[in-house]
Amino acid sequence: MPAGGQLAAFAEALVDGAADVIAEAIRNLRAAVGDDGWVDAAGVAATFNGIDRLADATGIPLEEMKAEASADFRGAIGIEAFADGRG
Amino acid sequence: MTTPDLYPDAPVPIRPDILAEQMRAWRHIASAGSWFTGAERLAVAAETRAARTCALCASRKAALSPNAVDGGHDHSPSGAKLPAALIEVVHRVTTDPARLSKSWHDGVMADGLDAERYVEAVGVAVHTISLDTFAAGLGLPPRPLPAAQPGAPSGYRPKSAKMAAAWVPLISPGNEDGAEINLYGGMMGAYIQQALTLVPDEQRSWFSLCGAQYMAGSQMRDFSTEPRAITHAQIEFVAGRISALNECRY
Repeated sequence: MPAGGQLAAFAEALVDGAADVIAEAIRNLRAAVGDDGWVDAAGVAATFNGIDRLADATGIPLEEMKAEASADFRGAIGIEAFADGRG
Repeated sequence: MTTPDLYPDAPVPIRPDILAEQMRAWRHIASAGSWFTGAERLAVAAETRAARTCALCASRKAALSPNAVDGGHDHSPSGAKLPAALIEVVHRVTTDPARLSKSWHDGVMADGLDAERYVEAVGVAVHTISLDTFAAGLGLPPRPLPAAQPGAPSGYRPKSAKMAAAWVPLISPGNEDGAEINLYGGMMGAYIQQALTLVPDEQRSWFSLCGAQYMAGSQMRDFSTEPRAITHAQIEFVAGRISALNECRY
């Protein structure tokens, strides 16, 4: 993944929320993907920081089609270990 | 606020469609909705910010179970006009979304919230969290909340919203009618796109914002064109990392 480390660190910094961590992540991401790529990454992070909460707050299930398509890797990457309050 | 005024401190140019959508989203937050006035919706927005420094939320987040910690939330001055159950909803959605549960939801409903106000509050909260995350991503502080717009809530509830697969009533694809007939225009009608449909204007506004900040539905699966300065793969990598950190199973 081109700039994968910088993109991941940027996402992690935004969820962590510490200003100095975010500032360092921005510097590194900007150097890796440029100004337009940085703005676009901020937009994506902003969207999913909302979407995740929307899904969790309304108790929507995962579509069967998506569950089947992801069945072989959800456990492997740790998703099944996440808290599940939908029951 | 005019469009250029939203980020006078921006260190780089911001795409015009993002600016326009965010301006529209702030106006949406500040205007009367279906069940809340503009002032009440701005109080919900303020609570998402108050939640980030709320001592009770921090203690619950650190606890093995959020139910193990009692107390009152540190709310914003405008939060005084909101019922306690609504403040609980906004704070928990903001600070500990992965551990929201059906029993928690049933509890706040039993404390006097109805599904319509619950969904509208969640809609306002996720708008605000998203807009604030974008600002943080540019290394900037949250934008000042706009002034409340006058007007009364419409009281509009779509007849086609029914209890089905979620904790709240949804408009299932194929059941849209009346003013909601084009609710899923250009979208698949996935559960995430149904989640706010009990308050249709929240659904419309949220996915309009998503179309600029992320991608429009038609762009998501068009791998022949890269609509952004980062690739589809990089976009989904960021999306996936954020969702993993938020421990979102969806």
